[in-house]
Amino acid sequence: MNKYYTLSRHDWEKSLANLINQFVIYAPVYYGEQQDYELIGESDIPHIVYNRPKPATPLKTFFLPVEENVMSTKAPPKQRIIMGVPSCDLAAANIQDEMYLNRDFADPVYKRNRDASILVGTDCHTIEEHCHCTTYGIKPYPEFNHDLTLSLMDETIYLYTHSEKGNSLIQAMEKFTHFHEPTENEIQALLDKRKEVEELLNHNNQGLPDYRKTGELVQHSGREIWKKYSQTCVSCGACATICPTCTCFLLMERPGFEKVRHLDACQYPGFEKVAAGEDPLRPLHKRFYNRYMCKYVWKPQKFDSIACTGCGRCIEACIGSINKNELFLELANT
Amino acid sequence: MNNHNIYKPIKAKVLEVIEESPTIKTFVLKPENHFTFHTGQFVELVVDGVGEAPFTPSSSPLVKDRIDITVMRTGYLTQRLHQLKGGETVGIRGPYGRGYPLEKLYDREVLVLGGGCGFAPLRSLLYNLQAEQERIKKVTFCYGSKNPRECIYEPYIEELRSIPKFEVMRTVDEADESWTEEVGVATVLLDKIDVHIDDSVAVVVGPPIMMKFSVQKLLEMGYPETSIYLSMEKNMSCGLGKCGHCMMGEYFVCKDGPVFRYDEIKDKPDIWK
Ligand code: SF4
Ligand code: SF4
Ligand code: SF4
Ligand code: FES
Repeated sequence: MNKYYTLSRHDWEKSLANLINQFVIYAPVYYGEQQDYELIGESDIPHIVYNRPKPATPLKTFFLPVEENVMSTKAPPKQRIIMGVPSCDLAAANIQDEMYLNRDFADPVYKRNRDASILVGTDCHTIEEHCHCTTYGIKPYPEFNHDLTLSLMDETIYLYTHSEKGNSLIQAMEKFTHFHEPTENEIQALLDKRKEVEELLNHNNQGLPDYRKTGELVQHSGREIWKKYSQTCVSCGACATICPTCTCFLLMERPGFEKVRHLDACQYPGFEKVAAGEDPLRPLHKRFYNRYMCKYVWKPQKFDSIACTGCGRCIEACIGSINKNELFLELANT
Repeated sequence: MNNHNIYKPIKAKVLEVIEESPTIKTFVLKPENHFTFHTGQFVELVVDGVGEAPFTPSSSPLVKDRIDITVMRTGYLTQRLHQLKGGETVGIRGPYGRGYPLEKLYDREVLVLGGGCGFAPLRSLLYNLQAEQERIKKVTFCYGSKNPRECIYEPYIEELRSIPKFEVMRTVDEADESWTEEVGVATVLLDKIDVHIDDSVAVVVGPPIMMKFSVQKLLEMGYPETSIYLSMEKNMSCGLGKCGHCMMGEYFVCKDGPVFRYDEIKDKPDIWK
């Protein structure tokens, strides 16, 4: 079932133009200093970027938009293809699925959004300063949760199918394009690139404690370090909103018994405040600490999935310039 | 259940509004659809277009055609609820969570300790125990309130006092001349109770500070941690173990609780806040 298919970049772009009629396509486009997902029209096709790490928006936003009415569960008319999904974000789908699709209560809107998506994963051929997926056991190339892998090397597109949905997409494309099989050398070049990037990540993050060790360090830390690192936190919640593994939300009522699910974050004041007034997370450093206990201690105790993929987005997003990895290194070295 | 939207409430008609105290009202609801719950489980009560909040029903789980929800006025939503006169339509979602462990109470002496509006969820338990009284040895109900005016469910207290297996003791922080029972915080009642601790299970519901001192006292008296059950109050939104608001350590209070055995939660952060 898993199989490689190749075609020239030119043919690929032509077939994408055809796919636009059948699917809604999102792909990363580069602008300013970063890349992010855009809805792709024909004129955008040449601007799609390949094999670059992490779009600014995490994949979860497709399944859990910032705000969504949860009363309407109608399926969209077209399936959507989401291209350029990095491995870290695919890994983050594990914890999201555990939270939102669990047996007792499956979220029908999350499920609808998830089912309507065809995920095209990508190998990262470069890395960014704060990428540290391998520290937490995630490879810089997709291993699960996707339908198809796509890489561009030397103006050739390499596709590798991972699921029935992936196969169907290939079949859909076969109607207007012709695939080749890659040579062994080509495959080897792809695998060599994977290894090179993995080694680069390991090298860059030397000394950073792994996921389990981080949990131990966080759990047994004193209060002082959290006070110190949270000094510049302004409770903006960006670290959680941008985080592919953060899952929290708030339900809001709309007239007519409509209900809207709004992304929320434990970094906002009042997140745990009860009507009678008690608020366990009132002190800033407790809110700050809560996020790390959630990610590295509580979630792994409760779920089979990890709750930080090492994508580094929270570090980049923090207007208080707080770098969790500096904090962990300090914890590890004292 | 497959096609059911977990967020969708069922509609319920407000049959009656009962004023229990200056700050507490009971709403008698008639759900449009079949609705049952286990005592101690909670529901999300929806005021259309305004909001929703979790409440543990105060009626007997054995009564199937209506549910009572007793609400203290504390914030915006409860204020809006208190404006209802009867006849309106509200929404309910649920029931959610783990209720009182009835099977652990059978064949034991049950000590029920309530403070303030904590009597509301406990009334549901007491109704349930009353209906199943042949299965329990006895019930000692200790109730503490701020002042006599805030003592709720007076008629029900009288009813309980007439049942041989039930003993009821009450205290208020500030008495007035009409008050003939104890004075002081809820824990003072524990000095007066007559239970065989080895054969007893305690259930405590009330404001955090009351629960904290009650647990301390129960432990001093010799109750094992595993014989004390608490219903925890946390900020909640979904009630489904998803939104994260009610996290207490790795627990989601809405799903893993709200009723916990003390030993399960004693090491979790800020349980009394
Ligand atoms: S870190 Fe905070 S916002 Fe993120 S999932 Fe945990 S509790 Fe929710
Ligand atoms: S905590 Fe930071 S590094 Fe970890 S998954 Fe979230 S945004 Fe990425
Ligand atoms: S992004 Fe930075 S400043 Fe904003 S809440 Fe997170 S830690 Fe605080
Ligand atoms: S109330 Fe949403 S997780 Fe408990």
